[in-house]
Amino acid sequence: MVNQKKKAQEQKCGIFATMPKKAQEEMVGFAVIIVIVAVILLVFLRLTINNSQKEPVESYEVESFIQSFLYYTTECKDVSGNSLSVQKLIFSCYSREICEGADACQVLNSTLKGIVDEAWKTGENSPTKGYELKIDSEDGLSPITLKEGNITKNYKGSMQEFSKSGNTINITFTAYY
Amino acid sequence: MEKHKEYFLLCKKYKAQLKNKKLEIPSFQLQKNGQLKIQQMAFMLIAVTIFFVLVGMFVLAFKFSDLKKTATDLEEKNAMLLVTKLANSPELSCGEAFGTGKTNCIDTDKVIVLNKKDYEGFWGNANIEIRKIYPKTNGEDVVCELNNYPNCDIIKVSSGDLSGFDTSNFVALCRKESSDSGVNDKCELGKLIVNYKSTW
Repeated sequence: MVNQKKKAQEQKCGIFATMPKKAQEEMVGFAVIIVIVAVILLVFLRLTINNSQKEPVESYEVESFIQSFLYYTTECKDVSGNSLSVQKLIFSCYSREICEGADACQVLNSTLKGIVDEAWKTGENSPTKGYELKIDSEDGLSPITLKEGNITKNYKGSMQEFSKSGNTINITFTAYY
Repeated sequence: MEKHKEYFLLCKKYKAQLKNKKLEIPSFQLQKNGQLKIQQMAFMLIAVTIFFVLVGMFVLAFKFSDLKKTATDLEEKNAMLLVTKLANSPELSCGEAFGTGKTNCIDTDKVIVLNKKDYEGFWGNANIEIRKIYPKTNGEDVVCELNNYPNCDIIKVSSGDLSGFDTSNFVALCRKESSDSGVNDKCELGKLIVNYKSTW
């Protein structure tokens, strides 16, 4: 009886003596599996979240808008009777010229207001919440600014620069959405 | 505590015995332990395999359900690429007709006489439309024909109707206008709209 007890105890001791090492190995194995699974899940999540979504305003739209409105033919005519484009009217405005009785800057302001209001309709139900158009010259003459709607954190903007007789003019347009 | 100490001493003694007398563990005990370990490993392998199979199935199900969206996204991307390049294509662009070469400028005189049948499918599965934004001709949108041009708002480059999703880009719509002072260039603001018929 005593012998049997002793034998059983000896067996138990033999198992327990080797147990810590095995347990450590198993724990490491388990940790490795968890790490692998976590990495796979992270990659999967990244791929899922990274799917690009269409934005209400794209950069190319803002860029092409500036280019396009500069070609717009205004009501203002030069001395030879040719209608001026917005680009030419901006220079006339900064040179304090007059077109057919009206001030060039006034014609420019009203034309730009009409163009921007039609192109970028702002409002609660509209994808565009607001806009800002700024025209300023390098020599510090009074800048032209048109603003409408709300300024939000999401926006797309573009800038175009051109010069005539050493006078550089910057046009900046920002659409908020 | 006392019991633990006693147990620890017993184990130490047994280990010493193992070392000194080289006691052998009975073979049946080794077999039993080995079997247990193999069984444990087999269960673990099965569990891991099942887990990965489940994860794989989940990923596949997710991917396949997303396939429709991916196709739509791709069509949308194509439309976006087309809309950014189309205005500068020789078929529509102003070229040198209105002074120096202009980008994002469409010669509407050229577009209105463009033979739609010849260009059927030329720009892929897309409907292309040019819409005047400023100034508007009337309150309503008037479709351009040879008899009402240029007092109209919409030029249809391809014959289909707009449906599904579309992408647009701003363009200058330029044409030649005759007046008392002769022929002048007239540019207005418009939008080039590319609409894709969804294949799904």
